[in-house]
Amino acid sequence: MDRALYELIQKKKHHMYRRELSVSLDFAGKPPEERMAMRFEKLCEAETPVILPGEEICYLRTISRIPDIFSEAEWQEIRKTKYIHELGYMSNVSPDYESVIRDGLLKRREAADEYGRRAIDAIFGLADRYRDEAVKQGRRDIAKTLERVPRYGATSFREALQFFRILHFSLWLEGNYHITVGRFDQYMFPYLQADMEKGLYTEESALSLLEDFFLSFNRDSDLYPGVQQGDNGQSMVLGGMDSEGNDAFNLLSKLCLQASEDLKMIDPKINLRVSHNTPLEIYEMGTRLTRAGLGFPQYSNDDAVIEGLTDLGYDLQDARDYVVAACWEFIIPKVGADIANIAALSFPKIVDTCLHRKLAVCHTFEDFMAAVRQEIHEECGRICSSIQNVWFIPSPLLRLCMGEIRYRNEGIHGTGIATAADSLYAIQKYVYGHEIEPDAFLDMIDSDFEHHGEWLPKLRYETEKMGNDVDDVDTIAVELLDDFADALAGRKNDRGGIFRGGTGSAMYYLWHADEIGASPDGRRKGEAFGANYSPSLFAKTKGPFSLIKSFVKPNLKRVINGGPLTLEFHSSMFTDEACIQKVAQLVKTYIDLGGHQLQLNAVNADVLRDAQQHPEDHQQLVVRIWGWSAYFVELDKEYQDHVLQRTEYTI
Amino acid sequence: MIGTIFDIKEFSLHDGPGARTTVFFKGCPLRCRWCHNPEGLKAESELMIKRSLCRHCGRCLQPCEHPECEPYERCIHACPHGLIQVSGEKYGVEELAEILMRHVDYFRRCGGGVTFSGGEPLMQSQFLLELARKLDCHVALQTSGYADKDVFQAVVGEMDFVMFDIKLADRQQHMTYTGVFNDRILANLDFLRRSGTDFLIRTPLIPGITDTEENLDAIQRIVGGDPWETLPYNPMAGAKYPMLGMHYALQDRKS
Repeated sequence: MDRALYELIQKKKHHMYRRELSVSLDFAGKPPEERMAMRFEKLCEAETPVILPGEEICYLRTISRIPDIFSEAEWQEIRKTKYIHELGYMSNVSPDYESVIRDGLLKRREAADEYGRRAIDAIFGLADRYRDEAVKQGRRDIAKTLERVPRYGATSFREALQFFRILHFSLWLEGNYHITVGRFDQYMFPYLQADMEKGLYTEESALSLLEDFFLSFNRDSDLYPGVQQGDNGQSMVLGGMDSEGNDAFNLLSKLCLQASEDLKMIDPKINLRVSHNTPLEIYEMGTRLTRAGLGFPQYSNDDAVIEGLTDLGYDLQDARDYVVAACWEFIIPKVGADIANIAALSFPKIVDTCLHRKLAVCHTFEDFMAAVRQEIHEECGRICSSIQNVWFIPSPLLRLCMGEIRYRNEGIHGTGIATAADSLYAIQKYVYGHEIEPDAFLDMIDSDFEHHGEWLPKLRYETEKMGNDVDDVDTIAVELLDDFADALAGRKNDRGGIFRGGTGSAMYYLWHADEIGASPDGRRKGEAFGANYSPSLFAKTKGPFSLIKSFVKPNLKRVINGGPLTLEFHSSMFTDEACIQKVAQLVKTYIDLGGHQLQLNAVNADVLRDAQQHPEDHQQLVVRIWGWSAYFVELDKEYQDHVLQRTEYTI
Repeated sequence: MIGTIFDIKEFSLHDGPGARTTVFFKGCPLRCRWCHNPEGLKAESELMIKRSLCRHCGRCLQPCEHPECEPYERCIHACPHGLIQVSGEKYGVEELAEILMRHVDYFRRCGGGVTFSGGEPLMQSQFLLELARKLDCHVALQTSGYADKDVFQAVVGEMDFVMFDIKLADRQQHMTYTGVFNDRILANLDFLRRSGTDFLIRTPLIPGITDTEENLDAIQRIVGGDPWETLPYNPMAGAKYPMLGMHYALQDRKS
């Protein structure tokens, strides 16, 4: 990779090529699919081919804003009868890069409908202009690559990478988002392997090209839609087993980990699939990447995920091919059209509802837990029945890049599990242990601890919490997650799929926290929950051994929509190779004990605080948010503060 | 038998082989000016208060009826921000052994174990001996080496690994900076060498005090061919002093 190119991208100098679309589009009276085709054609035509000095893999977005195909009034009309998920596009999917790159778009065009053919022709038009520009600049190498791809199947590693870039670029330009990268090391490795056998690459030169390619994920990503900068869904999955069950970690997997560590950029977001068979050495490679402070790799456990997915009805071969959606939801590439983040259940809200409606009438804690269980069932019923008539904006190009869809399941996050388990434990211990009257307890919660304030430190700091391997608390979490899985089991969505629960929170750790007041675990009104599958923010945890033991107790295979346990380590924990090995061993232990997903951060709270004060000095500082990594200084303050809060109790 | 422990730290990476649990014994006969665990000095339990975050609501100063609060003249359960912490919890041998052995599966997987640190664990030698005998895992000791020779020999006999500090070679300087002479320490080192127990000599590098060429050369002569490592100065060393109402002697020193 060219150093000057790296700096150009890092300093965002390529933004100088950007401009607004100058032509206007007249969508009046046209059906959605026609509008999509029109817009894509216009955008491809309006794009200016830019070949940056020193780059090998080209394509740069120059039109910054993609106009909406519907007016606000039209959206209102659509929403009257349809359920619109997020921005209305099919997102969080993993296209069939493998066969498109192998076959070429000309072949794809033969089977395409009119809209598909128009999309492909538009891609060809832009590719030809890029080729002409390459010739003009004397870049014969780029021109030669573009004579082959994207029309024909790739015949070399470089052609395959360039083909991927064109496809990925085009899918986003079509308006789709959270288009993931999938099992890159699997579908790309044959090209690298063949080239290496021909003597075209050494490991070193392959790494250099790969790093050039990785830069492409960081060129346009600030234009991609997301809740915050960085939430862009460019998830890459490495390692794991192949569809026959053999270990599939290969040289390219290793090079990708290396490239990510070298570049220290937030994209692509690396996920590493592991299992009880994974040797420590692979965890050590992952830990070296963790040390770089990017918040990845995120680990997922094949043993738990594959069994969990097959239990839900996924075919074994498809389950073995699972990838990770934008954050952590497990999806099937090519044939999966799951909406893995369609809604979320708030466990603390369930507790809050029962606290107000049932505390007075339930005479034992068992009765109260039965009420909680019933409320979970009812809430799941309400959530599922509210999801009717999901409608997607048709995306002709994306459709062409997917296989025949076999899965249309819908994933429901589960927010605030630790807050809920801790709260229920406190209710059990103090209300049903007759230390405080139910009325007084409710008054305390409703007054945000203004009344009976002496209970706040007791609940908050002196009562056992999930994360310390205390069975009495942890078993409540086990029950809640089982209830969640039970409550969704057997429910069908109206697309012919099922519902599946998970342990992720996404941004609901802030949103759901605002829906209730204080909670019985000593959480004050307005305070956030822990993100994803984590202890509460003020829980004093004994350390990672205890934490892991607590969090592997639930039956995680049953809540396999995903959502990682997060461990925060001070960056000084990674000083030498011996420490790398010890951290790697800890990760391996979590996986071996049946943990489903894990994400580690190397953080330094002092640096984060300084970055809030002096953002200009910390432009490249990366932190992990709920399922993706971001540049700290680009985040809104509420997200920055949450990161700081969770690092207060750094292990 | 009751011991006073001021911290139990899971997953410590720098306290011996593998990932370990480190138990911090309260009480130390030395007063090293650079000490970064000042809450380990006094043998008795004491309060650590994050005074800089205190909003002076006064709740901790209101009278309470908890017997455990009596020694402190304030209520340790009252702070709504969790700023008051008792340093020095009492444990029975059985109780502490049970807590530590919970993770023995982990120690076996990755070649870790339990490390006794402090403070100076040898100040509570009887408790330490009984505890070590109850632990069915690799056990290690971090010590200043300042103890009665019988005590030292008995404890070393129970250890798989000993990390032994030589801070200053010069007898008088040792007194100046740690409050004790080093004769006993050097005598105990001689025993350690002959004991057959694996050991590592360690020297904390304190700018201008222990990291001088003269001192390190002199320590090198004492160490000879034995395993020796130096520990970098912890620039955060002074952070805990205000919480204990203590003054950090090296406060104004540039690190």
